[in-house]
Amino acid sequence: MRISRRAFLDVCKGSAIGLGAFKLAQLGNVLANPNAPTVVWLQGASCTGCSVSFLNRISSSAPKTAADVLIQTINLAYHPTLMAPAGQTAADILQTAQNSGNFILAVEGGVPTAFGGATCWAYSSNGVEVTFLSAVQALASKAKAVLSIGTCAAYGGIPSTSANPAGIRSVSAATGKPTLNIPGCPTHPDWIVWAIANLLTNSIGSLDSKGRPAALFGRLVHDQCPRKPPSEQHQNCLERWGCQGKYTYGVCPVSRWNNGVSWCIDVNAPCIGCTEPTFAAASMRRASASGNCYGSCHREDD
Amino acid sequence: MPTTLVIDPVTRLEGHLKVEVTVDQVNGKQQVVAVNSVGTLFRGFENILKGRNPLDSPDITQRICGVCPVSHGVVSCKALEAAAGVNIPDNARIMRNLVLGSNFIQSHILHFYHLALQDYVNGPNMPPWQPSWNVDKRFVASEEQTLVNNYVRALDMRRQAHEMGALFGGKLPHVASFVAGGMTRAAQSARISQFRTYLSAITSFIQNVYMPDVDAVAARYNDYLSLGAGYGNLLAFGVFDLDNTGQNLLLRRGYIDPGQAWRTVNIANITEHVTSSWYSSGNALNPASGATTPQYPKTGAYSWLKAPRYSNKPYEVGPLARMAVNGDYAAKTSVMDRHQARAHEALKIATAMSGWIGQLTTRSARASYTVPTSGTGVGLGEAARGALGHWVSISGGNIANYQIVTPTCWNASPRDTAGVRGPMEQALMGTPVADLQQPVEVVRVIHAFDPCLSCAVHVMRPAEGARIFALGHYHTGEDAHAHPHAH
Repeated sequence: MRISRRAFLDVCKGSAIGLGAFKLAQLGNVLANPNAPTVVWLQGASCTGCSVSFLNRISSSAPKTAADVLIQTINLAYHPTLMAPAGQTAADILQTAQNSGNFILAVEGGVPTAFGGATCWAYSSNGVEVTFLSAVQALASKAKAVLSIGTCAAYGGIPSTSANPAGIRSVSAATGKPTLNIPGCPTHPDWIVWAIANLLTNSIGSLDSKGRPAALFGRLVHDQCPRKPPSEQHQNCLERWGCQGKYTYGVCPVSRWNNGVSWCIDVNAPCIGCTEPTFAAASMRRASASGNCYGSCHREDD
Repeated sequence: MPTTLVIDPVTRLEGHLKVEVTVDQVNGKQQVVAVNSVGTLFRGFENILKGRNPLDSPDITQRICGVCPVSHGVVSCKALEAAAGVNIPDNARIMRNLVLGSNFIQSHILHFYHLALQDYVNGPNMPPWQPSWNVDKRFVASEEQTLVNNYVRALDMRRQAHEMGALFGGKLPHVASFVAGGMTRAAQSARISQFRTYLSAITSFIQNVYMPDVDAVAARYNDYLSLGAGYGNLLAFGVFDLDNTGQNLLLRRGYIDPGQAWRTVNIANITEHVTSSWYSSGNALNPASGATTPQYPKTGAYSWLKAPRYSNKPYEVGPLARMAVNGDYAAKTSVMDRHQARAHEALKIATAMSGWIGQLTTRSARASYTVPTSGTGVGLGEAARGALGHWVSISGGNIANYQIVTPTCWNASPRDTAGVRGPMEQALMGTPVADLQQPVEVVRVIHAFDPCLSCAVHVMRPAEGARIFALGHYHTGEDAHAHPHAH
């Protein structure tokens, strides 16, 4: 399982969001320990989009792919979409982790609380059904750290907006535990890998008031945007079409998406503020008087 | 004596799934004799959309599902465009098809290798692939190694399929560029060129790796060419518009009853039953006038899924239904036919995409769109796993009602008002179960449907006195009735 620790450390050196030399050494020590914490990844009121995004991991330095992360870097004891075991065999893994306390809990999706949590069931153990609400509460109380992957886990996300018929709350609110929040709808695979590496070394650095690491969410999208005035592209700034880049923190303009092929603003789509607790609370798309022009009223071709 | 097996969670699918099947001896053969299907995640997207700016719905509805967001985005745009009477430019239609095709391919590859294959092959000897149920594995070690190697290659290819789609989508999952009226940005020549490069490599993988691997599994497990047949009722809304008439599709709209030729679909014949669902809203409503009011607990209900029916009958949706309706695959239902039809469809779509990219120009891909003060629109299409429909009603410039019928609602639906099982429930009936502790046969039938939950299947209400058997742990029937769903 722990085949290529050195390779994993390289990603941290090679990345713009990397770790310092001291922390790299720390991570090496943690990973060299056969008793390194496992990762338990649960899905609640989620769409599985953050898991799919994780599978899109690709980097010029190891772990280059999701397969590298899984095979060579971490011990992913539980992940509903990827794991082979099912049923009691799967539920037993959760019990083992909970008993050991030696795991990082990664949660994707918010926590439904309406109807006593009965709008989302996590698993059955010995024939007894366990709601996602009680599963997360129990596991969070024993975990070494709790990672909220994506905006739903971090803040509730779209399902928690307006009527919130399922009573969905963030993982932190539902458990009373502080969480490391890696928001985004979905979140970015590199941010997930960064977060797990830093949790393993207890070196997440400073957090902002919304529980996000400054290393990833310390700057506004607008301030890093290639269309920020007075750049050559500033006439293409999408603010008048409702772009939320001035109010949204994240390194999207640097990370870009899907092996760097594009990102929202690159296709003239305004930032919709998906890393913020206020995501989707208000309308995300603005129509002009003559229709929903967005940024493509201007030059469309390169 | 009947035994009820609890499999919760059923893993390797999208969302939450719980299955309880009652197994008994029938004619000397141990098999599934009772089945209920229960969705157990309710988020209420339809209610969340009410009162919102209609322009938000392509972004919001994509977040229903991170595996099929593109389908929701396309269908939502179509519903809005229908409500406003707006036609989109050919370039927008083609770009949507290309992004959608990219996601179909990534979904089909993901489904076979990463979700289904471990029912037949042991994965790497480490978590999350172990521990696993080591039962009825028929490949020798060298064959297993090849398939595991292809599992890793397939991770790479599905990632590349997403990169291909993101060239025009901005990002995946959850594309940024879909808006009512078209696409936020026209194609660029460099991107068209990059798209071709990706498509060539992915098409080669489908032909030379994916399809042969599916054939190999189907040949070694040829008993599954008859297991899991179900009703044989097939329904497709059709997908990939070839022009702007809405009538000419790569995979056409239609339905098939067993032994009969395909027929055209009239969406007025669709109703959603909620007798077995935790909703208090009206029963057997057409989605155009549908409602979604949760009620839990509710007497006689056992699922968060509604039960869509066409002319009051259950229909299976998915690649096999699409390919059969289109005349590209025999209208024969089984576990392996579902896998093979899916692989054949991947190639058909990839081949069509090669033609579409040649039709794409760098000119405008967007029509002006103004939200109507009032109006209604229907968007029909397909997700990788089956027919998808959005029904929107706009009033005062805002969404007054929004109803969504997803593929897994058709396939994993609970019983309807007449007590008729959903398609997946029916397919599970009679499935042989050799090892009560490792009921892999049940999971193989379920996985073949590629269920996309955020919901669940749940088979319960055992006969009085039946033993409840939670994979290694026996209980009395009374325990089952004592758990929360029974209240």
